[in-house]
Amino acid sequence: MKTSYLTDLTCSDCGRVFSINEVLTFCPDCQSTLISNYDLNAARANVDRDEIHTRSKGMWRWHEMLPIQDPENIVTLGEGDTPLLRLPRVGNELGLSNFFVKDESSNPTGSFKARGLCAAVSRAKELGVKKVIIPTAGNAGGAMAAYAARAGLQAMIYMPKDTPNANIQESRIAGAEVILVEGLISDAAGMAGVKAREEGWFDVSTFKEPYRAEGKKIMGYELAEAFDWTLPDVILYPTGGGTGLVGMWKAFAEMEALGWLKNTKRPRMVSVQAEGCAPIPKAFHADASFCDFWLGAQTVASGLRVPKSFADRIILSNIRESNGTAVAVSDKALMQAQKKLAAMEGIFAAPEGAACLAALEELVKQKWVQPDEKIVMFNTGSGLKYLDTMN
Amino acid sequence: MGNNVLYIEDNPDNMMLVRRALESRGYRLVQALTGLDGVNKAETEEVDLILLDINLPDIDGYEVARRIRSSDKKHALAYVPIIAVTANALKGDAEKALSAGCDVYMSKPINIRELWARVEAFVPSPNSK
Repeated sequence: MKTSYLTDLTCSDCGRVFSINEVLTFCPDCQSTLISNYDLNAARANVDRDEIHTRSKGMWRWHEMLPIQDPENIVTLGEGDTPLLRLPRVGNELGLSNFFVKDESSNPTGSFKARGLCAAVSRAKELGVKKVIIPTAGNAGGAMAAYAARAGLQAMIYMPKDTPNANIQESRIAGAEVILVEGLISDAAGMAGVKAREEGWFDVSTFKEPYRAEGKKIMGYELAEAFDWTLPDVILYPTGGGTGLVGMWKAFAEMEALGWLKNTKRPRMVSVQAEGCAPIPKAFHADASFCDFWLGAQTVASGLRVPKSFADRIILSNIRESNGTAVAVSDKALMQAQKKLAAMEGIFAAPEGAACLAALEELVKQKWVQPDEKIVMFNTGSGLKYLDTMN
Repeated sequence: MGNNVLYIEDNPDNMMLVRRALESRGYRLVQALTGLDGVNKAETEEVDLILLDINLPDIDGYEVARRIRSSDKKHALAYVPIIAVTANALKGDAEKALSAGCDVYMSKPINIRELWARVEAFVPSPNSK
């Protein structure tokens, strides 16, 4: 059995091809994100979709469509196969009969970031990287610290000083050096980039490293499998850097090429951000192909305080291709949604995840969604990591 | 309107990347490796748009923008478009750049497609005329 069908990587802008044996960041010619390519024809011929269902649970049962070449290099903490839960009470209140949450809070380190960092750290280890660095709005730092510890890699993390305390502590206890930054993730990114260049750290910033999106894309595979190889009508996704949204859109295309889907219907992708930092909704509704840097970003949902994603063009393109939309919600609305999810469904969501419910309430009012549509919102992490921001 | 872009940047890799990108679209690049040289070139050469790095070896990009905007030697510099380009190394770079007189803020690494779009919003590409 082949471990991975990864063949090469290409620049998302100029199409330049890169070898899988190189330690890669982003395209040096046009400074754009690299995309991992797989031999989908060979995978279609040799991988049995239904056999995957019988394997041990977790992200790595999809190993053929992940980038690791040697299974010895997989650094796992049991990520993936998170529950897909129906939300009957909230759905009933909204007049929706098929409303679900993909609850990513059960991942290691309590958030969806585990998936991407698991893939990135595993691949970094495979390529001989010894020390990894990341700027983070919170959960990515905790995840990288944990996987780096597991892999025996040195870890350094730059995060805004008002990052939730849980993220700071979980990173430090895993042995990472944590530098608290006066500013936003964009400021942290600048400092981490300088440190990486000066001291040879490998920068696993969102989309400046090609494999985090590969780990995240497995959320799309899991959704398709859960819906018997069809896809939902609508996906609401809280968008900071956007790896999950981009990764899932890529997964849908891969599964179609693999012949695994029962039809060609794709979901309408809804990017959800906070009103205090909404570069994607602003650019989307202005018909722009990239975002302006968002000035004065402010929201309780720390994971959404991303003034400009490195892959903004890809995110906007994916949303448009899906006939989706982008919604900004107020902090008040997302905190009310957080309470509603907990009180009515028993799910203590991260504020970023709860923002999806607030956005859906708006879309119901606008009749942008239909009562019988299959709708999935993503809860990206556990509310337990945000206790110090609850007030 | 001409097609002259002044790029004030001390990093040779960025200079080469931007030169290649803009010249491929028909622009003429005027380069300055320091802030003071940038102010001088803005005042003495024909310039239709300025790309301005913030972290420069002598005076920083904010000061460059302020001096360009208030130039006594060439009053037209009060209106020349300035695009700030920074690595976000310090808090509030974007806000400070805009308040110093820049029109737009871009973060590094510079995405070439975005660079083309930002420049073309002010100065149409000679290749598309």
